[in-house]
Amino acid sequence: MSADKKSSEPLFSKKNKKLITDPLTDNNPVTIQVLGICSALAITVQVNQAIVMSMSVLFVIIMGNWIVSMLRNLIPSRIRIIVQLLVVASLVIIVDQVLAAFLPDLSAKLSVFVGLIITNCIIMGRLEAFAMANKPWPSILDGFGNGLGYGAILILVAVFRELFGSGTLMGFPIFGNALPGEESGLYAMGYQNNNLMILPPMALIIVGVIIWVQRSRNKALIEEH
Amino acid sequence: MALNKESNGFTFGFAIVLVVVLGVILASLAEGLKPLKEKNVRVKKQIDILSAMMDVEKEGIDRSNAIEEFPKYVDLSEAVILNNVGEEVSKGKAAFEVDIKKEYRDKNLKEEDKKFPLFIARDKEKNTRYIIPVVGKGLWGPIWGYICLEEDMKTILGVSFDHKTETPGLGAEINKPFFMDRWKDSEISDSLGNFQKYEVVKDNSGSAYPSKVDGITGGTITSKGVEEMVNRSLQIYSNYFKNLNSK
Amino acid sequence: MESTLDIFVKAIFSENMIFAYFLGMCSYLAVSKTVKTAVGLGAAVIFVLTVTVPVNFLLENYVLKAGALEWLGAEYAELDLSFLSFIMYIAVVASIVQLVEMLVEKFAPALYGALGIFLPLIAVNCSILGGALFMQERQYSTILDATAFSLGSGIGWFIAIVAIAAIREKLRYSNVPGPLRGLGITFIVTGLMGMAFMSFMGIKYGEEAPSEDVETVTTMIDTNKENNIN
Repeated sequence: MSADKKSSEPLFSKKNKKLITDPLTDNNPVTIQVLGICSALAITVQVNQAIVMSMSVLFVIIMGNWIVSMLRNLIPSRIRIIVQLLVVASLVIIVDQVLAAFLPDLSAKLSVFVGLIITNCIIMGRLEAFAMANKPWPSILDGFGNGLGYGAILILVAVFRELFGSGTLMGFPIFGNALPGEESGLYAMGYQNNNLMILPPMALIIVGVIIWVQRSRNKALIEEH
Repeated sequence: MALNKESNGFTFGFAIVLVVVLGVILASLAEGLKPLKEKNVRVKKQIDILSAMMDVEKEGIDRSNAIEEFPKYVDLSEAVILNNVGEEVSKGKAAFEVDIKKEYRDKNLKEEDKKFPLFIARDKEKNTRYIIPVVGKGLWGPIWGYICLEEDMKTILGVSFDHKTETPGLGAEINKPFFMDRWKDSEISDSLGNFQKYEVVKDNSGSAYPSKVDGITGGTITSKGVEEMVNRSLQIYSNYFKNLNSK
Repeated sequence: MESTLDIFVKAIFSENMIFAYFLGMCSYLAVSKTVKTAVGLGAAVIFVLTVTVPVNFLLENYVLKAGALEWLGAEYAELDLSFLSFIMYIAVVASIVQLVEMLVEKFAPALYGALGIFLPLIAVNCSILGGALFMQERQYSTILDATAFSLGSGIGWFIAIVAIAAIREKLRYSNVPGPLRGLGITFIVTGLMGMAFMSFMGIKYGEEAPSEDVETVTTMIDTNKENNIN
């Protein structure tokens, strides 16, 4: 990385900043590039899970981009996909082991979805499309941006689902106490949680609505049939 | 000398070096974290066992101190392993190591070879408590729990149920206090010590009968799963208690 | 315990890879524009899942699991290689896909013409690795169960992608609001299909399942308030 620092381009040049901001908005990996949806939806019932998942993906994509970018001139092209898979799989194993050791309760809830980070298309996509052709520092930024863009959608969906599905955020009650017999806040006035929010189909519909809102604001993104 | 990175030799060399490096890193990480992970599993089991008997949160027992707190309540040397008709097979610490979830799932294991552990605990006032692990299946996946009996070996003092993937808001509610509290003070056997079956009912009549428990609205299959799990296990243990009392 | 048939039917309907777990969504969205390509990819997924999950099952039970290496001798009984499982599964999937591609190309050119372009896509389809990971997590006790699960999951995935492709073909003629066109409406339709598939949870599995009514979407929506606790 020292070689990059010496180069004339400043660390956070306009181009590099764009690498971070683009995936957050007009080039979002989930809503525009349609990548990495598999894991995006299943773990958005609670904000906690979504945050841990986003952090894990962020770690894997930054490290993966960095390692592959460092090795990009060494990797024989014939086995490059398998090398990328190996790097990603090893990083995911690290994440899985660390979660199991230090956050056992959350790790049990995330179950197979940590393992599925391996086939998260965002990661393989960025490794192949960006890290194989760019220097380490821009690759790290690119990974950071895409990881954030993914995490932003994940957390947004999770906020909706947890707030309206269970009336809590990060486990803290927002609308008052829902225990039968001791209702308070909104529940005392007859409010009920929407159980449908917790079920899988709602995640899809929320993502659909997010896409709708995003594309209404930016007409350039509208698809032709 | 420039390396030809597309040559077979280099490709093989690269692959081997990469695999060895990754292998060493992963193996050392897994080895390094193994004690922590094993401890996590044990601690979780200890907390689950205790939570059938008392409010672990109130007592301030959590992952950080369970290892020290657990032996204050449960003496594992008293624990018993039963067979599938409720006869004592062995006594001692081995009971904690029995993985009943695995045995329940294992189709190749004969019924009579399955082991059923029973933990004997003392609460703060030194009253004897019997803690029974149970396992079964809900709608989506496994459910499990612990049932704590009072000194009379028939009245339920408390239960702790948990699940892996039951429907949120419905079947998943089996691990919520409102459902688990419904089991309190019910009796697993009649005055002669014969086992009486539990029934998880849907008409909210549960509180009126000693052996009926209200199910979860909308969570019928999970509730029935709990019923099946409790009955199958308690039948075995009530045999043991009956023989113990008649001696 | 669950019978093999239960596992099979459950994997197709109530535990559908797409509608219940969102696995393989990327290719599901990308390749569902016409029914013809959807059938091709769906068939390839069935095929690859049915081949890879049993292989991974053997790997899990005879190599990776704690104590799985016992057949090599007592001194190996203590080994626990399960931390390597992710890497092994993905390696198995990638190499089997490659192998299948070569074999199909050589011995069944017609099939290759139909499936060929989809096979490479499949190595990174989450549903394939997901199949292996669910197999590991649920610890099926026999290879027959594992195969039934993988075949069922594949068929479930096939049904899902062919159904959405058919709907999308029709949707082309409807007046969808601009910003929703394409991706947006596909998500929402998939959500609605997911709700429909949730009613399959009512199928009675196994002999000890209750005989009366069942959990359905309707009871979920208007769940009794008194039990509505977070």
